[in-house]
Amino acid sequence: MTLVSPLQHVHKKGIFGDCEDNNAKNLIKISEVKNLLIFQIVQYKKSNISLKDIKIDELNLNNEAPKVTFNNETRILWISPNNWLLTSKKQELRANINQIFNETDFAITDLSHSRAVIELEGENTKEVLKKGCPFNFNELNKNTCINSVFNGITITIDMMDDSPNKVRLYVLRSFGESLYHSITDACLEFGYKNI
Amino acid sequence: MLHIKCPHCGLRSQNEFSYGGDATVKRPELNKEVSDQDWDNFVYLRKSPRGKHLELWQHISGCRQWIKVERDTLTHEIFTTLKANEEI
Repeated sequence: MTLVSPLQHVHKKGIFGDCEDNNAKNLIKISEVKNLLIFQIVQYKKSNISLKDIKIDELNLNNEAPKVTFNNETRILWISPNNWLLTSKKQELRANINQIFNETDFAITDLSHSRAVIELEGENTKEVLKKGCPFNFNELNKNTCINSVFNGITITIDMMDDSPNKVRLYVLRSFGESLYHSITDACLEFGYKNI
Repeated sequence: MLHIKCPHCGLRSQNEFSYGGDATVKRPELNKEVSDQDWDNFVYLRKSPRGKHLELWQHISGCRQWIKVERDTLTHEIFTTLKANEEI
């Protein structure tokens, strides 16, 4: 069976927007992140288990907003109290997750096929996000994440790097194409490169 | 446009929140006889104060948690925000 990615029909490689006078390095790079393992982890209110005892891919669950715990391949995003989004390129984690998280303490939901993931990279990334999102992006630091809205679409933003700015946007799969068009429209004035 | 300080996430735009009504309304106790009048008051009767008002809001596009907000209905000034299980 062939995997159909959420943005397969809209994301075309090339250079677009106002890019004539722009150095190729200044263009915003847009890519779709595919084959990402995405799990929602929720700790039940009645659970007494200590989070220090739980490690997945050598990472702890951090209940401090809006921190991201991470290593090279896995990132655990704080979504809300006792609620995390685990993203990883390691597909083998899928088998471990149900062993690590006890059914009586955690609700685990596989969201890998129900999210579209767009990655933006470039100096003007925050300027693009400011166009549709009411959050003050001057306060968004490296390795933090937020939930917010972009042109009315609920999104999760993971700030992966700040030199240059690199963010991942997680959105419901069904809203993926709408968000993609909103983002690319907002990128036009800076010029962007789809990769 | 209001800016509401979510006790979980920090200062956010009103766009991310959904209004949830009066936070001072108490549900009649379970398993006790409730008169039609008391039930009617609980379901429908709301004050419309001019000034400080304790309200429920949900951070629907953020952490999805319900919070309490003490807001001035006249000036829209927000005095305090609390987690849903906290009291002023």
